[in-house]
Amino acid sequence: MVSQYGIKLAAYLISSSYGDFCSKVCECLLSRGTLTLAQIIRFTELSRENVINCLRVLIHQNCVQAFSIQQEVAFGEAPKIVTQYMVLFDNTIHKMRFPKFMQIVSEELGKDCLGIFEGLLQHGRLSLNQIIDRNMQTPDNSDVHAVQESFSRLLNACFVERCPAPEPFLAPPEEETPAKKRGTKSAKIAEAPKTIEQRALETAAPMESIRFLMEIDTLSGASEEKGMESHNIATLEEKWKQDFSDAELSSSGKKKEILWRVNFEEFVRRLRHKACIEYVRIRLSDQAGIVLSAILELTRSSETRLKTDKSASMSINDIYDEVIKKDGGLGMDLERVRASLVQLGCQIPTTGIDETYSIDLKNIIELAQNEEVESVVLKRYGREAYRIFRLLTKSGRLLETDKISDTTFVEKKDTLKILYKLWKDGYLHMEKVSVNGPKQALFLLWEVNKESLWVCVLDEMHHAALNLRLRITYEQDQEKEILQLPTEKLVGELEKRYKRLRKVRIILESSLMNLDDALMLFHDF
Amino acid sequence: MSRTLETSSLKRKRPEADPLGLVDNERAILNAIKSKKDLGIWVRDIKQETKLTDHVVNKSLKSLLTRKLIKEVVNIQNKGKKHYMAVEFEPSKEVSGGVWYVDGNLDKELVNILKQLCLRCIRVQKVATLERVYEDLKKQRVVNFEISSQQVSEILNSMVLDNEIIEVKSTGLSEYYSIPIGTVCYRFDSGPGVARGSKIGAFASIPCGACPRISLCTPDGIISPSTCVYYTKWLNIDF
Repeated sequence: MVSQYGIKLAAYLISSSYGDFCSKVCECLLSRGTLTLAQIIRFTELSRENVINCLRVLIHQNCVQAFSIQQEVAFGEAPKIVTQYMVLFDNTIHKMRFPKFMQIVSEELGKDCLGIFEGLLQHGRLSLNQIIDRNMQTPDNSDVHAVQESFSRLLNACFVERCPAPEPFLAPPEEETPAKKRGTKSAKIAEAPKTIEQRALETAAPMESIRFLMEIDTLSGASEEKGMESHNIATLEEKWKQDFSDAELSSSGKKKEILWRVNFEEFVRRLRHKACIEYVRIRLSDQAGIVLSAILELTRSSETRLKTDKSASMSINDIYDEVIKKDGGLGMDLERVRASLVQLGCQIPTTGIDETYSIDLKNIIELAQNEEVESVVLKRYGREAYRIFRLLTKSGRLLETDKISDTTFVEKKDTLKILYKLWKDGYLHMEKVSVNGPKQALFLLWEVNKESLWVCVLDEMHHAALNLRLRITYEQDQEKEILQLPTEKLVGELEKRYKRLRKVRIILESSLMNLDDALMLFHDF
Repeated sequence: MSRTLETSSLKRKRPEADPLGLVDNERAILNAIKSKKDLGIWVRDIKQETKLTDHVVNKSLKSLLTRKLIKEVVNIQNKGKKHYMAVEFEPSKEVSGGVWYVDGNLDKELVNILKQLCLRCIRVQKVATLERVYEDLKKQRVVNFEISSQQVSEILNSMVLDNEIIEVKSTGLSEYYSIPIGTVCYRFDSGPGVARGSKIGAFASIPCGACPRISLCTPDGIISPSTCVYYTKWLNIDF
């Protein structure tokens, strides 16, 4: 479930771009979970027409995914198929970080690809023909082949992907064959059961083999998607007619052209790598940053899931060959590369036969997260609290008050005060232990409960991000007359106010982008 | 003759008969205090054990103090309660708080002096093991007690917690060449970003990160981003 301020931030971002009705529908789905059309209408108290329009916009902008399931009915009745709508929280928050995605595309692929990419960000989904048409309308338009070439480069870099199925059908879990069940029994015990939303996303996703492939064209988007059986299509179309009239049907369901959208997963992966490299560069050395950058460049395409714990193993020679291509890497020799690998936590193998290395990315992310929270503790509670919090984070277990006081060199009476304050604000977990003996003694034990604390910290970050956005809007509102004046009239006091507004916007917007790095550190990486 | 002797045996023992010249009450109280050795004993516990009246106990304690047979000690666990100990004992760590405590308070000056000495040693050596720092401190003879390796380790650990130094394991390469691989050592954090002062987290760099009222702040409330005084102050600073 998304936390309170995560919901508020998402609702605000949708409202800024698509209006209050869409924001209301989005907030409803975030607060209440996956719902049917009827339920959304009931909870939002909007008209049926408004809700349908909002869902169309949100689906088109990749913030909502529809899917259908078989509803349980009484014995003897024909099976009823119901459409449900789930919100995609991550994609909603990504709207805040479009400038970062654009910078990656601009740096790697250049201006032409950036133009196409911007269109996809703005419109949510486009077919190749729509991309070409859009390009024709720009002043410095390129010919069709050039546009196709740029689009192809975006696909090869996995920055763009085929859109998912508009409304996949989820077969009921009981329909699995007995043989299949037996074979996967042990695997099932190890894995947590998938939620209906996870199943919907998996079923909707295009197969990996065609996800970034431009050549294959399909007659109907529905028939090629995995998990769809032909007899369900008729049922589905019947279902759509119940929910949407012919005129209202989502364009992605009817059109025969393939629709493309931004592949957010790839950008999150790039930003994750960038965060690890930056952390290592600041904490260890520039050279360690270069070596890590080289390894991640080599292993990126082999990452099967986003939050990979360790990078794939690479040989020292492959790493070296990539390092010397990087800025500042040409002067590094094998020994310096090895020294950087050791700084990154690797061990030099004793035999020289199979010298391969893999980097623990999860550890780097955790260290960065710890530092972020420690920074907040230092600012809010002071240096002694910072020492105490770091001790408890490092030890990872319950410690008694006196032990904490002794190790951190904080006066015993002050230690207890600080611990209570941190506990009251949710940073620490406390346990009381009473010992029966000649004298009854009560001991207080303390530890950092990372799981619950990280959730609180993330919610506060969402809150802070929303605050920054609201303050930007407020500052602009305050000076809206000045923004409407032509430049030549901005003199004297007006010029001073204009300059102040510009400075304030830079501070707030750059702080928001920095805070977003921390947000991603806790939510996406 | 015998009657005189009997009469005298019935009389209270003359003070000269006790080796220290103590009367019965004083002896009883001294024994109670000595029995607690280096833990000390609270006045009320003395009264409970000896079953003597307040007046008698207080008078006896005054006498024992004057004769320098007992001393008053501060118990770090209960600073407000008067504790007494026989003079031949030194308060245990439980009572005194250890070598870092003086009269029940943390000896911050001592801790700071030792920290500065450790930092100087690490600055000179670039990378130092606990042993090297300990040897260096012993040579300097700054403190008037026998400092132990354990105590130096405690000082170094607290500086690691303060992020003044970092704890690393020797790789045997470069600056670690003289230190066996895997040995714990201490050094300054030498990352390029550290020198540039970029250690503050992104969240802590904005007013909301340090704000004690964030839980009360709402978009349209009395405390809100548009009315926030911390934001106003922050935005008016000359960057």
